[in-house]
Amino acid sequence: MGFSITLDGAAHEVEILELRPRLKLRIDGRAYTVTGEQQEEDGRHRLEIDGRPVSFARVHVGARQALRIDGRTFEAVLVDPRDEADAAAAGHDHVRAPMPGAVIQVHKRVGEPVSRGETLLTIESMKLQMALAAPRDGVLAELKRGVGETFDKDEIVAELEPLDRAGD
Amino acid sequence: MSRFPFRKVLIANRGEIACRVERTLRDLGLASVAVHHAVEAGAPHVRGADEAVELRGATPVAAHLDIEQIVAAALRTGAEAIHPGYGFLSENARFAAAANDAGLVFVGPEAETIRLMGDKISAREFARAQGVPVAPSVTPTGDPEAFRRDAEAIGFPLLIKAAAGGGGKGMSIVRSPAELGEAARIAIGEAERYFHDGRIYAETYVERPRHIEVQVAGDGKGRAIHLHERECSVQRRFQKIIEETPAANLPPALREEICDSAVRLAAAARYRNLGTVEFILAPDGRFFFLEMNTRLQVEHPVTEMVTGLDLVQLQLEIAAGLGLTLRQGDVRVAGHAIECRVCAENADNGFLPETGVVRLLEAPSRPWLRFENALEVGLKVTADFDPMLAKLVTYGHSRDEAIDRSIAALRELTLLGVRTNIDYLGRALDHPAFRAGDLHTGFVAEHAAALAPRTPAPGALHAALIAAALGFREFRALANDAPEPYASIGPWRN
Amino acid sequence: MRRIQSLLTPSSAAFRANDAHNRRLVREFRDRQEAARHLRPQRDLDRLARQGKMLPRERVARLLDPGTPFLELSSLAANMAYGGESPSASTIVGIGIVSGREVIVRSDDPTVKGGAWYPLSIKKSVRALDIAIENRLPVIHLCDSAGGFLQLQSELFPDRHMAGRIFRNQSQLSKMGVKQLALVFGHCTAGGAYIPALSDYNVIVRGTGAVFLGGPPLVRAATGEDVGVEELGGADMHTSVSGVCDYPAETEIEAIHIGREIVAQWDRPRKWDCQREPVEPPAYDPEELYGILPDDIKRQFDMREIIARVVDGSRFHEYQPDYGRTLVCGFANIWGYKVGVLANNGVLFNDSSLKGAHFIELCNQNATPLVFLQNITGYMVGREYERRGITKDGAKMIMAQACSRVPKFTVMCNGSFGAGNYGMCGRAFDARFLFAWPNHQIGVMGGDQAANTLAEVKLNQMKRNGESVDQAEIDRVWGETRKAYQEQLSAYFSTSQLWDDGILDPVDTRNALGVAISASLNAPLPEPGYGVFRF
Repeated sequence: MGFSITLDGAAHEVEILELRPRLKLRIDGRAYTVTGEQQEEDGRHRLEIDGRPVSFARVHVGARQALRIDGRTFEAVLVDPRDEADAAAAGHDHVRAPMPGAVIQVHKRVGEPVSRGETLLTIESMKLQMALAAPRDGVLAELKRGVGETFDKDEIVAELEPLDRAGD
Repeated sequence: MSRFPFRKVLIANRGEIACRVERTLRDLGLASVAVHHAVEAGAPHVRGADEAVELRGATPVAAHLDIEQIVAAALRTGAEAIHPGYGFLSENARFAAAANDAGLVFVGPEAETIRLMGDKISAREFARAQGVPVAPSVTPTGDPEAFRRDAEAIGFPLLIKAAAGGGGKGMSIVRSPAELGEAARIAIGEAERYFHDGRIYAETYVERPRHIEVQVAGDGKGRAIHLHERECSVQRRFQKIIEETPAANLPPALREEICDSAVRLAAAARYRNLGTVEFILAPDGRFFFLEMNTRLQVEHPVTEMVTGLDLVQLQLEIAAGLGLTLRQGDVRVAGHAIECRVCAENADNGFLPETGVVRLLEAPSRPWLRFENALEVGLKVTADFDPMLAKLVTYGHSRDEAIDRSIAALRELTLLGVRTNIDYLGRALDHPAFRAGDLHTGFVAEHAAALAPRTPAPGALHAALIAAALGFREFRALANDAPEPYASIGPWRN
Repeated sequence: MRRIQSLLTPSSAAFRANDAHNRRLVREFRDRQEAARHLRPQRDLDRLARQGKMLPRERVARLLDPGTPFLELSSLAANMAYGGESPSASTIVGIGIVSGREVIVRSDDPTVKGGAWYPLSIKKSVRALDIAIENRLPVIHLCDSAGGFLQLQSELFPDRHMAGRIFRNQSQLSKMGVKQLALVFGHCTAGGAYIPALSDYNVIVRGTGAVFLGGPPLVRAATGEDVGVEELGGADMHTSVSGVCDYPAETEIEAIHIGREIVAQWDRPRKWDCQREPVEPPAYDPEELYGILPDDIKRQFDMREIIARVVDGSRFHEYQPDYGRTLVCGFANIWGYKVGVLANNGVLFNDSSLKGAHFIELCNQNATPLVFLQNITGYMVGREYERRGITKDGAKMIMAQACSRVPKFTVMCNGSFGAGNYGMCGRAFDARFLFAWPNHQIGVMGGDQAANTLAEVKLNQMKRNGESVDQAEIDRVWGETRKAYQEQLSAYFSTSQLWDDGILDPVDTRNALGVAISASLNAPLPEPGYGVFRF
């Protein structure tokens, strides 16, 4: 089993081969033995890779990790396969109402390009306002409900279409 | 007894320059007053001062631009002088006048001089009158046709600039008459937006120009000297990121001619205090007056490194009426100095500003280094202020040594939590063109591809990946949480 | 603890002959295992690839924590059944680590008849769930099965330990608080549908995963309703409408990822506190086991030499070294765990039986798991021994062993014949795990003895009937009996029938026992107690 880590935007697989007595990893077909991991007060870390000492600094910035190693800064992100799946599956064209209610504001016009996560509509239900966001990048193809109009739970209130198809 | 007529100086600034000024004040036995907006409470420049005054303002920048509040703060704390640093109100004639009117010493030139040099058009006229070379230019008069005709007379390409401008705002290059009208319209719009002054002008655009500036000092009575030149050609988004002195590959005669022009200008203006005269140097050796900055420059430490002078002390002495204690012959230059501006920005994506929180800071320390900063772990880097975080200033006996020492220091400098241009600066210094001194203001654009980050060698790349992997909780859990005897048995299969 | 002093001579002709013989046996075992695991008709592999499915072993590999072992159980189940049509009984079972938790994995194998369950598939699954119950091991089901192999329904459906037992065991596990997770990669049809339904958690893959009591053809036949797979039992329907499934996954990889994250939420087991020492590898090379095991099953060897190549540091504290010498008893450590070892060095006599019974009682008092290393031709027979009560002494050993509260582990090292199998914790005595070596043979008696016995019976019959003795007929009986016995005695026949938990390469024994002992400690240790010993 491997981990996918992006380093400065480029994805790499880091595979664990052995845990004890020494951690053994494989990256791009090369095996490395990692030993002597130490963390010091000031955030510096030390370890040995194949017996060669490596010193580096690391901080976590949200999901990112900033590393200073060998006079260079890297940014690393651990890729969760579900993130990719989400991105791929963000392919739903339908925006469904999560509960029955009414539209109180429309933020986008039909034909306007929208990015994933951008608010399309604000709805109100049970005295609760909620933003309905675009499930993926695309173009707003159809708004099935306008301001003041009501809908049921799971009803499709808006439809998207892919950016490239919009011109057809 | 102090030789200064003032004992307490308010620093109308923040960040590294406020800390820098505080240092000299301490050295001279003078008290300091810091000003700050609420968001900067407890910042290093506040802690480093003897007293601090909070300024109110809708935004932190607005607070630092509030002349009345700052003058009142000086009066209330008993400060007798104001040092404006750079940026903010440092070139604001009204501020200098307000300080003087309140009976405070303004550490800088007369308000009149600031006004003269602050207006690019009047500054150019003044320079031309003193025989300082000025690039041919035209000013729109309201008749676009006439503007176009005049512009064609000078010849293209032309550079459009805002009269009240600076920092590259409102600037654009026009390569043909057809583009002129639209470019001027946009420039006027930008000038109005940024400077509330829609006046613009167009001047001959020098291809591959170098930016050479001369540090001058004047006693206000007509005597002026120079502290040699600085080269500030490495710029991005029209702002300097690497400065050095002396300028590389500058023939001695030309160097002298440029410095003399600057002194001539300062003397004629009866310039008081320190200032910088900026020039454009064409590849053919022609040079043109660009503007005069009537304040301490960001990059002043490189001059200090090679001259051994404390420029802030000089400023305070002149402001104190002690006159210009130096003669031109006293100013000796030894070695080479380079300043790198460490900025919170993404050098790999158009140098767009970055924000974040400083989580880790390890600065190198050497006798030949100055790390000018007001950083500390926990500092929030926001879009409120300029993205410059610190300056790394390095001295070397030769230019090569200064470059090597700078690169080594940049490699050692660790600032994590916000993206910075530290690695980019190292790559820029190490570029063959930089090492050869083959510089011009388009350096960053010309070498963009070569200055992009290189994929490290597999060993270094894999070391970084291993370091990263061990930092992720999910990875650590797998590496450490496997129960025994399973972990010791290892990936055995039967 | 003192190291065993090996008396082995690796340069001897006997050692070299044994070594060659056993390496050949292990090679044959590995070849059979390799074929069972990977040899499949290309069209079945193509079909899976077309469906975007991973091979079942790839699923297992990706499920497990990297750098950790997987103890596969009964890899050669069904190898001598159904004309070899159902490799590994179309089911993969093993113990490993998922998200840091010890689990038992049970996976269908869709590369064989769409993952249909043969009778032995069910026996293997039931055994897997029995192991889960006995050892309180969480279960992860990787579901991809067309359902029961209908041609053999009488052998897989009606009886107590047939298909229904899977669901009975699942229910029992849940009642005991032992967690189950099902990852639905393919179809779970008919009874198979209950596997995810009876699991505490389940994940279903969009597009390929489906759960239904009756698939579309059955529905059409039963009610005339025309309905597609997705609508009838697809991921979206089950995760958003019926609630049969919990998590939809876009891909198999994602399903595994979700599954691993689910397991990561589970509490970590609190095992009972078996005595442990720092781990030490054996001082003698385990590969020397090949030179110890004889190339003729009838030739005796010293079990201490085996023990020296299985236990930590080859250290062995022998109990009653000079009494009942045909049963070697003593303490040792395996992967740090303290165990009591009982190993046969010959026929069980009265004294060896009494020693064994006593040692078993000591281990039960001391909460020390028991490891039985079998090489037994039985309890001693004959007038002398019957008069001394060999049967009641054997019964004491069986009683002590059968009533043991500590986990028991049995390794069939060479031969297991007659009642010795009982005393030494044969399959019927609920060893938590029972492994066999490739050279192993098992039966009520050896092939020669059976042939002799039956030939004797035949001769007596002829005599009784006043017939003339037909030596050719007696030879035929002898030959046929022996041949039938030899085949049924073999380790492959035994493991095919799931009389054990798999054949082991002898050098793997230490690791297998390490995993097995670790797994066994999840079940709480009851108080000691026995029935009536006959004195």
